[in-house]
Amino acid sequence: MRRREFWVLVLPSVIVMFGFMLVPLYRTVRWSFQKVEYGQPGTSVGLSNYTGALTDPRLGQATLFTLGLTVVVTAFCLFFGYILATLVNQLRRARPVVLGLILVPYVLPHVVGGVAFSWLFDTNFGGIFNYVVNGLTGGALGDPLWFTDVWPNRAVVALNVIWYMLPFAMLMILAGLQGVSTETLEAAEIDGASPLQRHLFVIIPSIRGVLGFVLLIFTMDVLRVFDSLIPLSPQAVAIGNESIMLYIYNVAFREGAVNLGLGSAISVLTILLILVLLYPSIRNLVREAKAAA
Amino acid sequence: MTVDLTPAEGVRPRSSLALSEEVATGKPRYRRSRGRTIAVVSALILAATCILMVAPFLWAAFSSVKPTDVAFSNPPVFTFSPTFQPYVDLWQTTSFYLYLINTVVVAVISTLVALAVGLPCAYALSRYGGAASLVLLVLALIFRALPRFAVVLPMYEISKSIGIYDTRVALAAALIAINQPFTIWLLRNFFAEIPRELDEAAMVDGCTRFGVLRRIMIPLMGPGILTAGIFVFLFAFQEYLTAAVLTDINAKTVPVFIATQIGQNLPLLQQASAATVLLTLPVIGIAFVAQKYLVAGLASGAVKG
Repeated sequence: MRRREFWVLVLPSVIVMFGFMLVPLYRTVRWSFQKVEYGQPGTSVGLSNYTGALTDPRLGQATLFTLGLTVVVTAFCLFFGYILATLVNQLRRARPVVLGLILVPYVLPHVVGGVAFSWLFDTNFGGIFNYVVNGLTGGALGDPLWFTDVWPNRAVVALNVIWYMLPFAMLMILAGLQGVSTETLEAAEIDGASPLQRHLFVIIPSIRGVLGFVLLIFTMDVLRVFDSLIPLSPQAVAIGNESIMLYIYNVAFREGAVNLGLGSAISVLTILLILVLLYPSIRNLVREAKAAA
Repeated sequence: MTVDLTPAEGVRPRSSLALSEEVATGKPRYRRSRGRTIAVVSALILAATCILMVAPFLWAAFSSVKPTDVAFSNPPVFTFSPTFQPYVDLWQTTSFYLYLINTVVVAVISTLVALAVGLPCAYALSRYGGAASLVLLVLALIFRALPRFAVVLPMYEISKSIGIYDTRVALAAALIAINQPFTIWLLRNFFAEIPRELDEAAMVDGCTRFGVLRRIMIPLMGPGILTAGIFVFLFAFQEYLTAAVLTDINAKTVPVFIATQIGQNLPLLQQASAATVLLTLPVIGIAFVAQKYLVAGLASGAVKG
């Protein structure tokens, strides 16, 4: 393909992406060095937004909460997603039905899923979850304060994020399983490998690439968790269950005295964090392109 | 729900070697019963997962057809005479239909434009080996991972200053831009599967580069375009954060509407559950009908990363 043709073909997309993303991004970076309100020109304050952000215990708490959530959700989804994918992979006739049902949380808007989730737990609205679990265990669960107590609320939020992220992990791993060589598996079986050994030493190593990709997407997406906290953690600020995104939203958009500069500084810091996390993938991309050329 | 399992590992006809080994060691009965246990356990795990996955939606649907006074009573009520009053109220007393139209219009516009803009770009990225191609792909990857607020808050201010705040156009434009990186990556992976020899043959026969894209690639890309379209549509349909910031009353979407109903009084809450059902049913339909494309789209990302 000639250079000129390339540019003509990519131009519309480049204009959309860069015009609509780079211009706002530039503004966020500029705001992060300013004291500014919506619709007003800002005044430069140097690095004070950054020092303010880095010394704010609320941001530290939000970062810890978000990272903890990311680790718990990712670990659970990788483990259980693998088991589910293995089970679904054995299905024949029931496969479309099972896949369709498991896909439901993935296609629902997360905020709507969160609202529906809150009704399962809120005792003011029936509390079916407590009712069923107490019924099955003879009242062992009791009546936790799902929305105002720190740890019960964290459990609800983690369950919700797992609920809508698990289908994605499962489908990715299922797609990876299609590429596992049946010959190698049969060879391992004839050599006397137990089912567990076959999983650990044949299947998991051969889908390593897919698992890495799932890990990358999970890290990026759970770090950005926001939608589900709106319905599920109304007291997030008070009980320390704010995510980084929710913190930016509260500081730069919702709270009485909007502090756009501080919010922008945190956005910029988050971008830096994401760039560090993306670095291995970017390096792989560049390496592959060089190998292909 | 019944889950139909094909025989699991243990009961599948084994290779002759393994079979003779079983006969020799005299343990076939033990193996068979263990195989059956595994099949039952895996069926139970799958059935439980399926139920848990749809439980929040089922409970919302259940609540939406109860009489209002028992809809959210504690302990939950399981016998009642169903009513569709919340649906009627939702339709008559709120602007739900307007929000639904907004949601659908924004999703359709942003899908069509995203594909029209993304297709040529993805084709070029899959065929051009220069450094510019790689730089664009890397930038797209970074843009896909950006925290939303880094672009959405400035968009809020810009849209206010040029007077398009709270319009469908502003929301659609924002969503096209935000989802463009994903669109071009997905489409590029599909284009990459079409052999380059096809382009070359057509161009030897006198087709221009743009002719190749229009006459040969796009017809071949049918499933790929459908897959990308479904994903972009779903993303636009699901979006809460961007819609919450860029809209107020006129261009409000259903997810934003449902989120604002929480913390309201009981009748409004029940209307929200009705709205949840109305919004969810079509998407569940998509999950079943378009399953093949959803799985193919995710798989293409998984393999190529």
